[in-house]
Amino acid sequence: MAELTINRTFSAPPEKVFAFLSKTEHLLKWWGPEGMTVPEHQLTMEKPGPWMSVMMNSEGQRYKVSGQVTKVEPPHLVGFTWAWHDEEDRRGVESHVTIRLVPASNGGTDFELRHVDLPSDDVAENHVQGWTSSLLKLEEMAST
Amino acid sequence: MTNLITRFAALGDPTRFAIVERLLASGELSAGDLQDVSNISAPAISRHLKVLREAGLIRQRVEAQRRIYSIEAEAIRSIGTWTMSRKKFWGASLDRLASALKEE
Repeated sequence: MAELTINRTFSAPPEKVFAFLSKTEHLLKWWGPEGMTVPEHQLTMEKPGPWMSVMMNSEGQRYKVSGQVTKVEPPHLVGFTWAWHDEEDRRGVESHVTIRLVPASNGGTDFELRHVDLPSDDVAENHVQGWTSSLLKLEEMAST
Repeated sequence: MTNLITRFAALGDPTRFAIVERLLASGELSAGDLQDVSNISAPAISRHLKVLREAGLIRQRVEAQRRIYSIEAEAIRSIGTWTMSRKKFWGASLDRLASALKEE
């Protein structure tokens, strides 16, 4: 399965970025795409343990995702597991997220997020291969 | 996940995929209207419609002895949920994180 790496540079120092990654009140300021609300959550990455969030779009559609915080090394690293739930609240394939913060030369922070999937659901994977372009098309049509 | 797999499996056939696309574009159609999506018999189209119905992708209502089909929006949304994984979530969220960091 695919993996995703996103690199960003923030002008804020690692300590501040880490606070935004780990504390509930800060996480809620950015968690989820613009326009989504987070009506239910257990969002804290300050210590190992369970986390979850339910995001909701303007049409009331809910997106639930949950996992375990596995690693916390302030102000450098946060690791957690990740899985979407389906409409009947069954948890899907689990994947791993690791966020690393490195001090940048200008006092800012080099931010790296890696989201790596584990092939723990072969059945789903077989059905899913090759469908991406069709699905994108369907989604596009369904949203017009 | 099970529902999603059933839905992907149902869509994994060119005729059924064409039926879903046609219904997305047109709204409601009868089995007769859907006949020309593929060069196959009416009973074959009916079988495909049944598979799509059982997968929860389309719904059927009867009007003056005609069967009218339309998309089950919830099912298409569940596919949308699945595709909103990873990249879309993180890209959009990290844009907001950058703004939030600047505001404080």
